[in-house]
Amino acid sequence: MSSKSTLRVPAWIARKDFSEYLRDGRLHWAGGLVLILLLTALAVGWQNQRAISGERAVAQKLDYSDWVSQNTRHPHDAAHQGMHVFKPEPPLSVIDPGITPYVGSTLWLQAHRQSEVKFRPAQDATGLQRLGQLSAAWVLQVLGPLLIIVLGFNAFAGERELGTLRQTLSLGITQRQLLWGKALGLLACLAVLLLPAGIAALVASLWGLTSELQMDTTLRLLGLGLGYGVYLLIAIFVVLAVSAWAKTSRVALVVLLGMWIVGTLMVPRAASDLARTLNPSPSRLEFASKMNADLHTHYQQAWKDNFGVDKRWGSDLPLNKWGVALQVDDHAGYSVTDKHFGDLWHAFEHQQRSQEWAGLVVPILALRSFSMGIAGTDFANHRDFSVAAEQHRRLMQDLMSADLVKNADSLDNKHFAYQADPKLWATVPRFGYQLPGVAAAFQNNLLSLLVLLAVLTISVLLARAACARRLL
Amino acid sequence: MRDANNSWQLFCTVFKHEGRVLLADRTLWLVASLLLALLCYALFNGLAHTQARADVASVVLKKQADQQVKNLDLLNRMMAGKATPEPFANPADPASIGSGMGARYAVLPATALAPVAVGQSDMFSHYYQVTYRSKLNFMYDSEIENPWNLLSGHFDLTFVMVYLLPLLIFAVSYNLLSAEREQGTLRMLLSQPLGLRLLVLAKLAVRAFAVIGLATLVPVLVLLVIRPETREASALALLILWALLAGIYGLFWLALAAAINALGRSSAANALMLIGSWVVLVLVMPVLLNLVVGQISPAPSRTELATRTRLITIDGLNRYNKLLSTDYRYTDKPEILLPKDGKIEVPPRRKGAYLLQRDVDNEITPVLDQFDRQLAGQQALVERFGFVSPAITAHEGMAALAGNGSRRYMQFQTQVGAFHTQWKQYFEPRMMADTAIVPADFDRMPRFTWHETPKAEVRSDAGLRAMQLLLLTLALGGFTAWRLRRYPVV
Repeated sequence: MSSKSTLRVPAWIARKDFSEYLRDGRLHWAGGLVLILLLTALAVGWQNQRAISGERAVAQKLDYSDWVSQNTRHPHDAAHQGMHVFKPEPPLSVIDPGITPYVGSTLWLQAHRQSEVKFRPAQDATGLQRLGQLSAAWVLQVLGPLLIIVLGFNAFAGERELGTLRQTLSLGITQRQLLWGKALGLLACLAVLLLPAGIAALVASLWGLTSELQMDTTLRLLGLGLGYGVYLLIAIFVVLAVSAWAKTSRVALVVLLGMWIVGTLMVPRAASDLARTLNPSPSRLEFASKMNADLHTHYQQAWKDNFGVDKRWGSDLPLNKWGVALQVDDHAGYSVTDKHFGDLWHAFEHQQRSQEWAGLVVPILALRSFSMGIAGTDFANHRDFSVAAEQHRRLMQDLMSADLVKNADSLDNKHFAYQADPKLWATVPRFGYQLPGVAAAFQNNLLSLLVLLAVLTISVLLARAACARRLL
Repeated sequence: MRDANNSWQLFCTVFKHEGRVLLADRTLWLVASLLLALLCYALFNGLAHTQARADVASVVLKKQADQQVKNLDLLNRMMAGKATPEPFANPADPASIGSGMGARYAVLPATALAPVAVGQSDMFSHYYQVTYRSKLNFMYDSEIENPWNLLSGHFDLTFVMVYLLPLLIFAVSYNLLSAEREQGTLRMLLSQPLGLRLLVLAKLAVRAFAVIGLATLVPVLVLLVIRPETREASALALLILWALLAGIYGLFWLALAAAINALGRSSAANALMLIGSWVVLVLVMPVLLNLVVGQISPAPSRTELATRTRLITIDGLNRYNKLLSTDYRYTDKPEILLPKDGKIEVPPRRKGAYLLQRDVDNEITPVLDQFDRQLAGQQALVERFGFVSPAITAHEGMAALAGNGSRRYMQFQTQVGAFHTQWKQYFEPRMMADTAIVPADFDRMPRFTWHETPKAEVRSDAGLRAMQLLLLTLALGGFTAWRLRRYPVV
């Protein structure tokens, strides 16, 4: 057989399958539902993203101008007023909101203590939120494979039952050509559905961005395309493998549905519970009491070393040392909070990492991680923001304390009578935070992409083996 | 009469035979053991989660009791002239006791049925440390949890019942009639003096008995054995209601399988239609309703809340600048840390800080109320339109029975808010009038007592949901009976 027909035969088969999918209505019904859900998800995601990012940008600007235009005031009180910082909403949260509903977006940078990011959107929603949030990512991750199952479960098994498989093979078409043809047919169905959604996603996420961000976002979109493409290809080859292997189309369907239920519904939940058991994160109480105990020792040491006193903010400390004391106290705590928050976040990331490896068996776990990582809505991005915000808080604190050392500590017992000149406020810079770039995103999520590619290789090999052995 | 008797005997015969066939077929064994394993794993998770929560609650309460003993002891020693307090941890100073030093915890106890559903218990905190500082300082505390895991959800009993039970029911019933027809045995069966409807009913009964019976009985028995508090009359009633709700929910899916079988398509088509309706009812509907509810009754902007808070704080800082700029005097005069004639000098700076926080609270309350109203509005919409999916009805109902539904957490927050006001009302006059705290005060300070949602309300809510599901099930049953008349046996 010439090389031309090696290519042409699969294309014929694909065309024949595709027109069958169209004719028996499966593509219309199942595909239509998926497409409608996808477009709805994109529209709603786009609307929310617009509203939120506009509002946050304005709030951030206002907040800083309020800070700068403060009256004369004691710097420590100014630090109590503090600043709010808002997490920028990444453009691709339109496609995959990731953990966004479950983490806060607003930090109040205040004196004394690292604060937590507040206002988790899921707290403003009903219990229904826990049954899932409509997003393009959710539709593709959960319903995508199901759509492929519905379209392809009888690709081989059905033809075998009809007897057409024997006929086709008797024409001299090889099993491999048949497999590629069937795969191409399914791919064509997906392309018909996903191309319009892809274009909609492209427009929705690039709309109104600066050219620099547009580049970054386009690269991320290509990354997402790659990830979801590999994921859906895995589904195609697994479906074809099972369809070739199963004796009847009924068996193929039942097996595939079973795999889908286990793989997309059961394992993700079980894996979360398991990861939590194997690598437990502390309760809030435990976390706080351990950190406080640790802080206590460090504070005590610092106060002893610097002021020769046992008690923090005790009566032994004259008010003309409060400026220095604030500085010493803050710096004594930094390493402790860094360690405790670092350990906690490490535990979170470790829990997630172990689930990415589980992606070798259930690819949705690897894809989920990859998708939110590339979209910029995963925990690594959240952590980056939290760390940057804390650094900004420390900068603000240090500037305020330095001013107190310089101007208030010389006033003897009139520490709080000191009122700083409003010029001081402008020495604290704006919080000019930007989310990590696309290079970091790819670097962080290489593992999950490799896991997905490995699973794809395995599933292609499985499909070929099933076709070679059990086709008739 | 004889007819009825005859039918009953026939029903029993078919029931017995069908049971034997199912057992010999291994499908039932497989489904039952899978179900058992899932139930046990889910119950284990729920029990572990509840235990962890109970442990935290007891540690918190012990911490509070220990602190009170310490505070009282120090105060008594101060009064006896044997100790001098720290300026910021002075048990005679209402500014210290009303904030961190004497703060009280408000704890929401887990109910007897808590292991049944994790619900919202991993989102919202079940305890708050209440001080006279602004609500904003503690109201957003939540349990530490990996957001990835929050997104995944828990593998709890509600997940098994709402998501997986229908699928296991499908596994034993999707080819209820179609298999008999495809194998040619239906023709034989119906050549006997046996009606099609009776046959279907008996077949369904065997499956209901095995799968739904197991799914409802195992959790009830496990809870009765492991959690003694479920044996109390009121908890027992809720447990029975849970079994009823779960059982009817199962029956709904069985009825759906029967209705789809009655359409007379092939086994594969049945499986596809069943999985399709499951996807729509269990996966898609809740997600869509969540979306719609969020659009109709959207939460106000949290960014706006942050901006408002800042503006109020700036106002307060200006208003109380004089108090805030007054210096502490204890370094010159350490004796002012001790109470004298029932009075103690509350540092003006601390008064200023309190007033500032109080004003923030007062002005922010209407905004926070707006959040609560919108959320309550969403909840009401979910309750009104939840009927579009039996999965929503069952999920919400089970969470409420477990005491982990949204509504109970909202009630908890409201009660904590009221307690916070009470706490401030106790301390504000004392701080402003420089009244010293005396040992007897410790028993008079407000304490948080949780007023449980009336059991009757929980019961009627669950009962209503069960009725809703029952109506749907009966409607499907009616449809099946009607379709079976025209069933193509050949």
